[in-house]
Amino acid sequence: MKAFQQNLTKLEGNDTQVLGVSMDSPFSNFAFAQQNGVTFPILGDWGGPVTRRYGLIQKFDIQGVPMESARRATFLIDKTGKIINEQVDDTAVDPSKTVEACERQKLKG
Amino acid sequence: MRRELKTFVCLGLLILISSHILAAQSKSADKKEKPAPAPLTLKVGDTAPDFTLLAFDGKELKKVSLQDYRGKKNVALAFFVFAFTGG
Repeated sequence: MKAFQQNLTKLEGNDTQVLGVSMDSPFSNFAFAQQNGVTFPILGDWGGPVTRRYGLIQKFDIQGVPMESARRATFLIDKTGKIINEQVDDTAVDPSKTVEACERQKLKG
Repeated sequence: MRRELKTFVCLGLLILISSHILAAQSKSADKKEKPAPAPLTLKVGDTAPDFTLLAFDGKELKKVSLQDYRGKKNVALAFFVFAFTGG
């Protein structure tokens, strides 16, 4: 999250809006954003319908208790609505690949 | 007596076969429980599914839709997992 904030000017400079999504409520997202100096919107995907639609719900169990959580992922979507880059799990934590893809997109015009 | 014996053998065979099948099934079920990092269902080149979600800006709740940016801006859509909201 902070890493995205640090790269925000690079992303915005390349004509890109950063939107965070988390399965928490919009209010707890806002509290989190304020405490961490995050200025881009974090959308509240309450109950996870969008996270599910993007195929990011994973099921696991701890001591036989079933649980669901979201996978960490970043999608770069172009102006026509097409996915042009995706990063998942560990590679999604570091936004540098998304920034690179964003810069390549700008070169393409 | 011979007929009984035949039935007995047949039953025994059936049990043997079905237990093998069940064992094979539970093995493949075990495999499903521990998958390698699964590839995403949405691929590069796919159209990103539209959505509308709420964001709170400190004053009011605002609707934000992916389609708001169509033709205007690229969108970096970052899904975060919060173990806690304080940190």
